[in-house]
Amino acid sequence: MSPWVRILIALMGISLFIVVLELVRRKQFREELSLVWLFVSLGIILSSFADHIIDPIAFALGLTYPPVLVFVLIQFVFLLAILYFSKVVSDLKSRNKELSQKVALMEFQINSLNERQKRP
Amino acid sequence: MQGYLIAIPAYNEADFIGQVIIEIKRHMPEVDILVINDGSTDRTSEIARGHGAMVLDLPFNIGYGGATQTGFRFALERGYDFVITIDADNQHDPASIKNLIEAMQTQEADAVIGSRFLEGHYKMGLFRRMGSYLFAKIAMAYTGVKFTDPTSGFQLLNRKVFSYLATGDNYPLDYPDVNIIMALYKMRFKVVEAPVIMREKQGGKSMHSGLRPVIYVIRMFLAILMVLLRKED
Repeated sequence: MSPWVRILIALMGISLFIVVLELVRRKQFREELSLVWLFVSLGIILSSFADHIIDPIAFALGLTYPPVLVFVLIQFVFLLAILYFSKVVSDLKSRNKELSQKVALMEFQINSLNERQKRP
Repeated sequence: MQGYLIAIPAYNEADFIGQVIIEIKRHMPEVDILVINDGSTDRTSEIARGHGAMVLDLPFNIGYGGATQTGFRFALERGYDFVITIDADNQHDPASIKNLIEAMQTQEADAVIGSRFLEGHYKMGLFRRMGSYLFAKIAMAYTGVKFTDPTSGFQLLNRKVFSYLATGDNYPLDYPDVNIIMALYKMRFKVVEAPVIMREKQGGKSMHSGLRPVIYVIRMFLAILMVLLRKED
């Protein structure tokens, strides 16, 4: 792997790591959800030094330029992260529905009680 | 009409909701009517209340299925024995409710789906007709029962059924359809059809415009697959 590609990949990982940490520090990103992205960024950083692992695999797969494999792996890891967050969104949607239904039912109950109290 | 609740999920149906309530009261003067206002931005809630219906106001729009499920939860909490779901756009003729009740009693069913095709004529767009036909075939293959109108929202459900549908994610957020018939069948509920009259949709934005029919069909296939793959509750 050429030194410049190595540096580029490492910088990508470091940048992502710092951005995620900063978002958590500013409380714009929940800690437990940030762990996924921190692991992803560490993986990106490590992959910039993993020539002796990446290169043989890349050549075995018929790739003449091993960094392509690194980028493909990075994209796959991002896909997994997106899948995880899609699951989180689905869960939130279900809970949102439950809460809104509960609010409507409770509001009806309160209004009914208020009307009963008003009657002589 | 002891123990009956008519549940009407409504989203921006200020033009029709009053008429729907008036007609229901004409045919069934003693029944309780609940309008589930699904985050409407017009006067749906106010008009429904003005015509004497009970109204649940959802804080924001959660979809037809979510709103209907809220009606089931209300019925469950208040001890109703039966729920009749009717659309708020004046398409479902309340005069046909007696057909649903009769079918449930004579066939000892748990759920009755009102079919617009068993009697009378109903104009439907080509794509929608094809979808309805396809899903009817799927429902028949799975249940062994011929359903002529599996997409109908005009339904009568007993307490066992709406108790199940009121729970968690047993009822989809958007459009409950043939997947619900299949899920009920899997839970060993008896589901039958009865003839009802449905009017053509008057004005308003159709859910069947643009790309929506395509997305709807894909979504329905996924929902059907999930019914087949999931274990019974």
